[in-house]
Amino acid sequence: MSAALGGRPAITAGRPLAPWAAGLCLTVVALAGLCLGTPFVAPQDLLGMSPESIAHLVVWELRVPRVLIGLAGGAAIGTAGLLLQESLRNPLAVPEMLGVSTGAALAVSVCVIWTLPVPPSLYPLAGLLGAALGGLVTIAATRSGRSAGGVLLIGAAVSTGIQALLLAVMATADRLQYDMLFRYLVGSLSGLMWEQASETLPWFAVALPLVVLCVPALGLLRLGDDAAASLGSRVNLARLGVLGVSTLLIGAVTGPCGPIAWVGFLAPVLARRLRPDAGARGWLPWSAALGALVTLTADLAARLAFDPVETPLGAWTAPAGVLAGAALLRRRAAS
Amino acid sequence: MTSTTSPARAVAAVTLLLAVAAAHLLVSGQPLGAITGLLDGAADGQAEKIVWELGVPRLLTALLTGAALGVAGYVLQATLRNSLAAPEFSGVNPGAVLGILGGLTLGLFPADSAAGALLAALAGGALGGGLTWLLSAGRDPAGLVVHGLLGSALLAGLTTMLLAYQPSRFGNALRWLIGSVEGRVWEHLAFASWWIAGGIAVAWACSGMLAVLSPSDDHAASLGLHPGLGRAIALTLAIALTAGAASLAGAIAFVGLAAPHVARRLGGRVRTVAVVGAIALAGADSLAQLAGQLLDGTHRLGIPTGVITALAGAAVLIRLGRSQ
Repeated sequence: MSAALGGRPAITAGRPLAPWAAGLCLTVVALAGLCLGTPFVAPQDLLGMSPESIAHLVVWELRVPRVLIGLAGGAAIGTAGLLLQESLRNPLAVPEMLGVSTGAALAVSVCVIWTLPVPPSLYPLAGLLGAALGGLVTIAATRSGRSAGGVLLIGAAVSTGIQALLLAVMATADRLQYDMLFRYLVGSLSGLMWEQASETLPWFAVALPLVVLCVPALGLLRLGDDAAASLGSRVNLARLGVLGVSTLLIGAVTGPCGPIAWVGFLAPVLARRLRPDAGARGWLPWSAALGALVTLTADLAARLAFDPVETPLGAWTAPAGVLAGAALLRRRAAS
Repeated sequence: MTSTTSPARAVAAVTLLLAVAAAHLLVSGQPLGAITGLLDGAADGQAEKIVWELGVPRLLTALLTGAALGVAGYVLQATLRNSLAAPEFSGVNPGAVLGILGGLTLGLFPADSAAGALLAALAGGALGGGLTWLLSAGRDPAGLVVHGLLGSALLAGLTTMLLAYQPSRFGNALRWLIGSVEGRVWEHLAFASWWIAGGIAVAWACSGMLAVLSPSDDHAASLGLHPGLGRAIALTLAIALTAGAASLAGAIAFVGLAAPHVARRLGGRVRTVAVVGAIALAGADSLAQLAGQLLDGTHRLGIPTGVITALAGAAVLIRLGRSQ
């Protein structure tokens, strides 16, 4: 399963052990996701179950697609977070706090709750549209305020406004499904099956080459606007492209999983911490791997902590992300 | 600063309050006769009963909650010397909501106990405020808002977890998350109204202290006020008021942020901010009722009031953020 995550860092000079450790962690967490729960299935029995047994059904129809979506979605949201942070050169650029994730959640929930005639396979497109709109509102509102804190504040205002709209949409539902409410508020992997997986995974396949195309642009944007412009490159075009790819990733994730809260912030921060001098190119695969790892781990907690009740995955990732954000602010203030 | 006691201002405030109250009752969809019929002091007839049992408590809830949040925001902004300090950005408001839901989940108090909800909201509000204070310890007050945002996000995550754990227990999870004054009746108000009125009265009595405290610690000390003690009193007051508001209406966003700005622009202090907050929330609730009716009344919930305040507040916050 974890081998599907094609994100092995190309440049890992110095510590060749780290990629193996990350791969091992991912495998362990993915296996735990397949095995733990009711019924418990021992890892060695995974392949040898009789096709009629309930365990076989649970593992292959419920757990496998869930782990797959968790892997791909977590990796995508981690990547998107890094792209956002790098292109806006703001380490506090959290998708939730920029109106991007919330915009996507609003767009998708409108389609779902008002049963608009949009086929489910196009929900990622609706999410992309919503994400782009939410992000545009924030960017338009922050024209003059450029400090990291100021952007965060304005983004929070936009997000709160969009979230209020989301709740208003939820309030118009004839029968409120709590499941759906929590999914679009913070993100949740509950109830995902092959149907959703087959609608979502192709979008990630589309996004992967686009992410690779972004890599040269990232190095360029890191130089700063003036330096990059003096080298004759079209900075704004590059930035727009990178932002577009990240909104595509976020839009695709939000459809089935909701905004996986704060993973888009947490994964890049951890990647930077692990590889302080790798540069954007080195952080990209790490953000993806760590995003998948955090998502899968949080999903385990969401599934098992209050068994048999499932809690939303985002309710677990949000505290972790927030604490990381506080630590980051503290370090920046100290330095 | 002009005197806040000039009769013209008092008349204007009372007129505005009455106008908003009348508008609020009028948009509730009941016939005009049922509202004027109440003026004779008895609720006879079904329409009059509906107005008396539902419409009037809803109006009072909106007025009280708005006033409480406005004053709490004013006290916070004056004490922390930060024009962006507000109940929702200091973790107090989300903490109070978390406290109520946590208390309900653990079965610490019955769902219909107003005093229990208030106590839980107090404990949660203090916890949320304390958390923000911990996160931002040693930082300058300007950084408080960013930390408050982070603390609020943390508390919101915990609230979601609680809600997801047993959604059916809260009757209506949405009303706590977004804030709504709908469905409050006289029993809910019986306790909280005294609490909020008392808190506002104390804040009014303390307005001299707030004025001394707000320029700087040295300024307060030179005038004979121990800054730490004064700040502790003021913060307790803010938490108490926020908890009272949250126990009535859940997490109403941005009234506590915007009302003090309006009041300061008008040159007023505690009383002005209370009136501004009350008018703002009652007006927002009128809009929410109106919007709910325009979207045809078949929906279960209508439009929660918190949606209107959040949208309006987001616009205010963006303006404030850009001027930072």
